[in-house]
Amino acid sequence: MTALSIFDLLLERVTAGERLTADDIAQLAATPDILSIGMLADALRRQMHGTAVTYVRVASCSYDRSFADAVSPVAREVRVTGSPSTLADALSAVRSAKEVAGERSVSGFSWLDVLRLAAGEGSTAARVLAELRTAGLEALAEIPLDAVEDEAAVVEELHRAGFERLRLTIASAHASAHTARMLRAAALQDRLGGIQAIGPLPMVLDPMRPTTGYDDAKAVAIARLAAPNVATIQVDWQRYGPKLAQVALTFGADDLDNVTASDEAPDGRRRAPLEEVRRNIEAAGFSAAERDGRFNLISR
Amino acid sequence: MIDELASKVLDGSRVTADEALALYRRAPTHLLGRLADAIRARRHPDRIVTYIIDRNVNYTNVCVARCNFCAFYRPVGSSDGYVLGFEEIFRKIDETIAVGGGQLLLQGGHNPDLPIAWYEDLFRAVKARYPEFKLHALSPPEVLHISRMNRVAVPEVIARLVAAGLDSIPGGGAEILVDRVRKLLNCYGKATADQWLDVMREAHRAGLRSTATMMYGTVETDEERIEHLIRLRDLQDETGGFTAFITWSFQPDHTERGGVEATGVDYLRTLALARIVLDNFENLQASWVTQGGKVGQLSLAFGANDMGSVMIEENVVRAAGASYCMDEVEIVTNIEDAGFIPKRRNMHYEVLGDPIFRERDVPRMLALATARAEGDTSVPDELRQYLARSRAGKQLRLAQ
Repeated sequence: MTALSIFDLLLERVTAGERLTADDIAQLAATPDILSIGMLADALRRQMHGTAVTYVRVASCSYDRSFADAVSPVAREVRVTGSPSTLADALSAVRSAKEVAGERSVSGFSWLDVLRLAAGEGSTAARVLAELRTAGLEALAEIPLDAVEDEAAVVEELHRAGFERLRLTIASAHASAHTARMLRAAALQDRLGGIQAIGPLPMVLDPMRPTTGYDDAKAVAIARLAAPNVATIQVDWQRYGPKLAQVALTFGADDLDNVTASDEAPDGRRRAPLEEVRRNIEAAGFSAAERDGRFNLISR
Repeated sequence: MIDELASKVLDGSRVTADEALALYRRAPTHLLGRLADAIRARRHPDRIVTYIIDRNVNYTNVCVARCNFCAFYRPVGSSDGYVLGFEEIFRKIDETIAVGGGQLLLQGGHNPDLPIAWYEDLFRAVKARYPEFKLHALSPPEVLHISRMNRVAVPEVIARLVAAGLDSIPGGGAEILVDRVRKLLNCYGKATADQWLDVMREAHRAGLRSTATMMYGTVETDEERIEHLIRLRDLQDETGGFTAFITWSFQPDHTERGGVEATGVDYLRTLALARIVLDNFENLQASWVTQGGKVGQLSLAFGANDMGSVMIEENVVRAAGASYCMDEVEIVTNIEDAGFIPKRRNMHYEVLGDPIFRERDVPRMLALATARAEGDTSVPDELRQYLARSRAGKQLRLAQ
């Protein structure tokens, strides 16, 4: 079993704290042997986080709806969703989100929204970011690596505007393009710092070319292995769904983002699926810890 | 300890119940996957992953068994109760053939108003109209029900159904083959563990092949899950009649039992364990219909070598809350993405060929059909020819 011994060597290097090279990662990404990739990623995540899995309860609300109605008191982060067409709309949404959020952090929008709003105002991304920041926005919900040309410039711009704990995402690139993006994210972290998390979002469902579980699990594992200098690999609880999100935890992810704070069940609104989240984390052999929108653990 | 067990499994040795328990409880998930994958690779070195195009039809939802984990059945006399007409079933067969299918998976409730003649006439009518079409029909509890209702011994029921056109038997109704569990699930009456296995033994003796299943995640202990697997392994040693094994998690929504569903990692571990314990089973199916397409696909790394059926129609799991759908294009994409070669098969796991949609245009199917349109309470004409046993059934006949 020669294939096994190659992985054994890689496993030794990972457990010795050595960073895998770009070539190693590319070779891993090319093999269909998802279990070996998962084992390596899992070994690395255990070195970094032990058995801890964090999760955050997020109240999502569209920018044009009432935040007071949508934000549950148990949410730890308020996220503005949707793409407002003007900066004024975006700012008023952030302000009302912040009003409801109080001490809790407010996130929202994608980097692409920032560019679009800037273009609409005849302004610059820096100005738009500064205004959003003043209105109370603490984090962009998505910084899609696969949709920006110069990610270094984006990260620098965000740093300058005072955004911390950046969360880089990959929205729609095919799995084969992930590896290079992840390696670039790791290089960016070496150079500029300030990147808290990478969230490889599951690809948008296209009935003609559906995304698959292998792609999603591999994206998580490759993100973990390629960027050992980024603390957190996230999966989006709602977009992955409970089963795949749980499996992703065994493929290197250590954080469940976007757990609903409350949801509308057919027989009425119920509290967050907290029990379900914790049960899934524990059934995968990990220990669950809640965090807030600033990645601080909440002691219970 | 786990390392020793792992090398024992890799050497191809059979594991005992205690060893299986140790692996299930203590082996890391990736290790279980690796062991199962090694066995899968040994049995299927060609990297072929199969699937079948067939339709999952439930001829009636009226059932006297009242299993408390079931959201599909309706009691005798319920206004939601239905029996499909022969014409409705022919239409479903036509639609199945149109998308390249050659078989119905035909199962239903234990309806006291369908005598054995109804089944025989249905099977004969199907075979007369579609001589090449296969009937993978009537799980062991249904065979027992027919035997009891008609006072005909099981071997004779099987012989009569085979004479009428039965081709093979699905492994449904096994749940967990431990009587303590069956009593708690209220399915001891429909078939005890021994009775379920006896029907399969008789079917295998009669020359039929069948599948075997396990529904886990209700009240059973880990030990009982393993006992279930070992009982299947023992019968397979004896008859060799099982073609494949399928496991899935209890789907709690809308059931009397309720509760929560076992998680995705539980599923992958259970599947891998089954591959390790069932060393005399050739094929393991992935249950995408309960786990979703993505975890369904990941099953291929945890011991599965078959993506099951495109199903076309599904009523039972849907009633309990799961509504996943995969048509042939999606199943094939998933198999290829995972690095395997997709092949169409029949119930005997004989390869029939490459994906049908690459040979000719097949309509995409983005949702599974149901037994009947919502609110369709029509009673098929031919039912009046068959004697009803229940009071409600008799009244229905009189009204016809």
